[in-house]
Amino acid sequence: MNRLSIREQILNFFFLMLIQLPLIHRITLFDQAFGFFYVGFLLLLPVNISRSYLMIIGFFSGLLVDVFSNTPGMHASACVFIMFFRNFWLSFINNDWRELPNLNILFLKTTGFFAFIFPLILVHHLVLFLVENGGFHFFGQIVARSFFSTLFSGLIIFLVNFTCSGNKKKA
Amino acid sequence: MRRLLNFLYKRREIGVFLVLEILSIWLLVSYNNRYNASFFNSSNQLSGFVSQSSQNVSDYFQLDKINERLMQENELLQEELRRLRISPTAFLDTINRYEVIGARVVANTVNRSSNFLTISAGKKDGIEIGMGIITSSGIVGQVKSVSDNFATVYSLLHPNFLISSMVKRTQTKGTVQWDQADYLHAELKYIPRHIKLKKGDSVVTSGFNSVFPEDILIGIIDEFDLKDQMTFYQTRIQLATDFTSLGQVYAIKDLLKQEKDSLELL
Repeated sequence: MNRLSIREQILNFFFLMLIQLPLIHRITLFDQAFGFFYVGFLLLLPVNISRSYLMIIGFFSGLLVDVFSNTPGMHASACVFIMFFRNFWLSFINNDWRELPNLNILFLKTTGFFAFIFPLILVHHLVLFLVENGGFHFFGQIVARSFFSTLFSGLIIFLVNFTCSGNKKKA
Repeated sequence: MRRLLNFLYKRREIGVFLVLEILSIWLLVSYNNRYNASFFNSSNQLSGFVSQSSQNVSDYFQLDKINERLMQENELLQEELRRLRISPTAFLDTINRYEVIGARVVANTVNRSSNFLTISAGKKDGIEIGMGIITSSGIVGQVKSVSDNFATVYSLLHPNFLISSMVKRTQTKGTVQWDQADYLHAELKYIPRHIKLKKGDSVVTSGFNSVFPEDILIGIIDEFDLKDQMTFYQTRIQLATDFTSLGQVYAIKDLLKQEKDSLELL
């Protein structure tokens, strides 16, 4: 089981993190929805990683994305923020979350998966757009952007995970 | 003792959290100092290379559009050249003063609260921090930081980027700044109330600083408002540059910059 988990982490890292980098400015739907789907890689990291390490991984992933979008510190701060709350939120969704070998659709079920990722992505995007905007002016626009971006990013994460864990069933 | 250790262990996570957050805020704040050679931006080699490859792919699918745009630009330049030949003395002082370096835009945003571009020319091509970037239709921005092969550019769509400008018809000096609302408009500030503005007046660079040459189009006045208690007009201009379809841009090197700046320091 452990080996499968590593394989899936590598797939996640590749599809959700590396593919994000060249696409960071390119996928914007209707001037509103930005696809920051790299968050999925962070959210789906295995449960046995301690919270401090989660935050450190989050920080460096965020920083990597920041380098590509000329916003050093912005994605990093948002990522550290959600990584701080991730396990806490997971324990709400799933009572025996510590026994889950892997965070994906198979183990969380589809509803659990959505209930797990969407609020965290929304928080991430809200923090991100608030910090970017540097204040609460244009607040309506920020909320709209966060909402649509969450739907967009969440959908991509779902599709990637759906495909990856589909492979796993056969293996 | 054990409870104390437990307590500290719990606090450790919050400590890591705070340290990382403070670190990111520090990065963010220090990046916003206007000009620096920070490593953490899109002009570093890796990020530049990735953006360029991705741009190469998308350019390939728009070759006909790019060709057409270059053709139009050539036509404009031809026209201008013919006009210059008729009156050879008109631009003599500017001809030797500015050097132009061509570059391609490899990454660009227009929808964020502060936007940057990455261009495929760097130190090796003669780009320096602080140079102005234009395109055939108007102003684009100013170089923020530069590596060997790439440069990060403040887009005009960045709230910290101010352009010394002038209403062409009345020769009134003002400042153009982006108001973060949308990528088609910007604000023109400090036009005093005794000036009679008209809708459609063109706003050009003033040439007061050595970033941009004189008389490059920034935009045209779209709407203006003057309430009784206001000293200055509240003016919105429509930008001349279409930031969504930037391809070829030009960096302007002012050969007399040092001379001018050292004089003004006195």
